[in-house]
Amino acid sequence: MVKKRERLEVIRDILESIRSSRNIKPTRLLYSSNLSPQMFKEYVNELIVKGFIKLEIDDNDKKTFLITKKGNDFLQEYKTIENFVKNFGL
Amino acid sequence: MNLYDFIIQNKEILKVLYGLIIGFICLIIVLKTDKLFRISFHQGIRYFRNAFFFYGLGFITRYVFGTPLLDDYFSQYYFLIIKILLEFFLIMAGFFLFYSLVWKKFEAHRKGYFSSLLNPPIFIFYILTFLIIFLDNLWNGYFFMFSSQIIIFILAFAISLINYVRDEGKHQFLKFYFLAMILSLIVWVLNSLAAFFIHWDQIILINVSGINVILFLLFLFGVIYITNIK
Repeated sequence: MVKKRERLEVIRDILESIRSSRNIKPTRLLYSSNLSPQMFKEYVNELIVKGFIKLEIDDNDKKTFLITKKGNDFLQEYKTIENFVKNFGL
Repeated sequence: MNLYDFIIQNKEILKVLYGLIIGFICLIIVLKTDKLFRISFHQGIRYFRNAFFFYGLGFITRYVFGTPLLDDYFSQYYFLIIKILLEFFLIMAGFFLFYSLVWKKFEAHRKGYFSSLLNPPIFIFYILTFLIIFLDNLWNGYFFMFSSQIIIFILAFAISLINYVRDEGKHQFLKFYFLAMILSLIVWVLNSLAAFFIHWDQIILINVSGINVILFLLFLFGVIYITNIK
């Protein structure tokens, strides 16, 4: 059985998908995130509210996600954050 | 003159130093964890940070602003306020530390950004804290604060033991966290014994202070060590 991903791991995976493709369409991000549409929406909304990603809509109404500086900082420090959370049982 | 005699003779000034040391340790922990929280927005880190923020305030309030060296300068009402503030900070710190271990069970479905000082679960802690302070002032002692903290740290001890056993040795600091919870429990039990049965015995209180310094240094070591692993 595949181990359920922790919340922090899901956030890391979403941010890494966006970073690796520089900008990504919502449908492609949904597939790469391996989440249900409902969960995906919740995570993406949370990441937008926290300023980790932003949604850009061009003149043709095409939507793409971009990673922000905050999102990049999170990925940079991900190992430290994960270590801290697991070592302190948080 | 042995060490205990020296400490007892200079206890008031040493207590100020003790409060400043613990306050400084808490300040470093708060700054380090706040940086981590601002990057991650992780609620567990946030509650952990709040716990040490309140511990720092509690120790500074009690041992620096509440020192008997200030007896001549302030009225008894000042020291009553200090007692109330001390209880408020220490009880809230204990609640925050405990809640940092269990927050996921209560906030799994809460999304977005919200205050860590003003939200429904924390509101319950405020109510309990004010109730404890009220009862302690009514009875003119610390019985309810000590009892509440002993219960909190028995629970935290059990949770940290479960975390440690489940982890199977993958994360080194979990065993130190478990040790820290045992030390915290010992501190609160010894404090209670000193308060209720042996009239604030000086030797016991000196040992409690020693254990407290070790306890806070242990947390400081963990925070610095883990945040420096790359």
